[in-house]
This record gives sequence, structure tokens and C-alpha cells, in this order.
Amino acid sequence: MSASHRLDALLEAGVEFVAGVPCSYLKKFFAGCADLPPSAFLPAVREDHAVAACAGAWLGGRRTVVAMQNSGLGYCLEVLTSLHLMYRVPLPMIVSDRGAPADYEEHRILGQRTRQLLDLFGIPWREARPGQHEAEARWLVEASERGRTVAVLLVGKEADE
Amino acid sequence: MTRAEAVALALSLLADEDIVVAADGAISREAYRALDRPRTFYMLGSMGQVASIALGLAMTRPERVIGLDGDGNLLMGFGGLAMVGGIKPANLYHLVLDNGCYATTGGQPALSQKVDLASAAVGSGYAWGRRCFSGDDARDAMESWLAAKGPALLDLEVTGEDPEPAPRVPMTPEEMATRTRAALASA
Repeated sequence: MSASHRLDALLEAGVEFVAGVPCSYLKKFFAGCADLPPSAFLPAVREDHAVAACAGAWLGGRRTVVAMQNSGLGYCLEVLTSLHLMYRVPLPMIVSDRGAPADYEEHRILGQRTRQLLDLFGIPWREARPGQHEAEARWLVEASERGRTVAVLLVGKEADE
Repeated sequence: MTRAEAVALALSLLADEDIVVAADGAISREAYRALDRPRTFYMLGSMGQVASIALGLAMTRPERVIGLDGDGNLLMGFGGLAMVGGIKPANLYHLVLDNGCYATTGGQPALSQKVDLASAAVGSGYAWGRRCFSGDDARDAMESWLAAKGPALLDLEVTGEDPEPAPRVPMTPEEMATRTRAALASA
């Protein structure tokens, strides 16, 4: 058991490699990652490098997941489109969906368009629901087994179960 | 020594089991023309991500992973150096084919002419980093690079373009990815 039920559920569903950039809404998730074996967790310096490293780990035979704040999606678009989507390299994503009306202003413009952005690039997403982290983990891994890039959006700190 | 000659020389020095990540653009096309192998992954886009893809492979595979990179490409994804240097995978070997410009887009000068990429790698935590200025020394430099403890970066100056541009890799992206993953899974 790690500090994160969500991470535990992903590991249980078969995930073997995690890369990402922290968000204050993903504290438990990254606390759990810190206890993974060194070959199973990459603390990336930017989100595009995290998703590219996941592609490398997938080529190497691992099931992967990336975790990030939605602000990192912009950095990722080139890699998601010209690597994951184009080569059909699957990628399950855990994305904190910042930008609610009460959130800080730097999150608002992208935050209000995160779902449109994912729709625009044909990346299926679902919003995390309380207590549903196990079903969400299975959904991410099953979709990735079919070659898909898919995202679970975490709205609010309480989604970081 | 041209970039294509340097790519061919590097591939000739590798072991069969070595895994290669070839940068998008001319480097992938020249690697395909010189020696196609299922254990080479050909990038088509995602400029700047050679080190990151190679790192994901190096963390999950026991074999050596060779990144064939360009100087402009490396500068675009400079954070990748920090990740490799910070994680320190001993099986990662990074070769920069350094022509000091963006050759694929018309030869516009790149800041690599003023940035010491080998020192940047060592400063980031690579176990070994050297620059090689002459094609005459390239083979010796590559042999030292591949004999060094990783992660190791060789910044190799290359000049000019091959008279015959290498054609695009005649596989679909999905075929390329599936082929490399299957080759690694069967080992």
C-alpha cells in the first residue's frame, strides 16, 4: 500500500512505469510514486519529457502512466500527436483539472478549455468520481491495451485519493 | 565526415542487442539507409525528445540504449539532459551529430555553435562527455564513448550534406513502434 489509493489501483491494474510532473492537487499520488523502485518512476522536468519517456518505457515492454497538471498538456501536444497518437503508442494519463472559478487565475484560461483540448485531439477522458479510482484505473489500462491515449481528470484536491 | 557517414559508422560499431533511438528528420532516414534493424526506433516528429525516449528505454531494459541525436534537436529538449544526468542510467549512450545548424530546414545556424553540449551533459550528471572536432578522430572517439561508463555523451562535429539525401523510412509509424516493441519482447 502506498500513500495513494489511485496509484495502488493503477499498479494493481498492471501499470509498471510512472512518469510525471507534480501538482499540488496530486500530492498523495506523487508521495506514492516516491516509494516505487527507481526503474519504475521518472520524476520528469517537464510534461513533454514525461510522456516521451513513457513512450520509451512502452517500447521497452512496460505498461505506463503519466501524471501532470493540465497546464502541462500544452507542452505535450507535439509529442502526443506525433508520437503517441501517430505511432499508436498508448498512454494513460492522470491530469489534475485546475481552473475552477475559485482557483488561481493562472489556471483559468487553459482550465476552462482542457476538455475541449482533449476532445479536439480525440483523446477520450472521464472525470474522476469519489471512490471510483479502481474502476478508473482499469478503464485507463484497458484502453491503453487497445493502443489508446486516454485521460482521467481530477477536479479538486479531494480527487487525489 | 558527413552526418550520414557518422550515423553509418556508429551503427557499425554497435552490438546486435543494442537499442537505438534515431532522431526525427535526416538522422532517422540515414540510419535506416545505413542499417535497418528492428531494435532501431525511428522518430518522425517529437523534436527534442531523443534523450527522453532513450531514458524510458534505458530505465526498463538491460541492454545499451543509443540515442542518435542532432544538436538543434538536443537544444530543443535540453531538459532531457537533466533527466538523464539525474537518473544516471549506466546503459544510456548519447551521440550528437553536431553540424551547428538546422540542416533539414535550410541550414539556419543553431546556438550549438556557442554552447558546449559535452560540458552541459557532464554538468547535468552524465558520467562521461567529450567533444570530437575532426572526422579523422571520429572512430577513436566513438570507441572511447562506447567503452565509457554511461550515461555518456559524445558531441561529434559533422560537416556537409550527403550528395544523395536518404529517403523516408518506408514503414507506417505503427509498424515501426510495433516492430521495435516486439523485437524487445522476444529477447
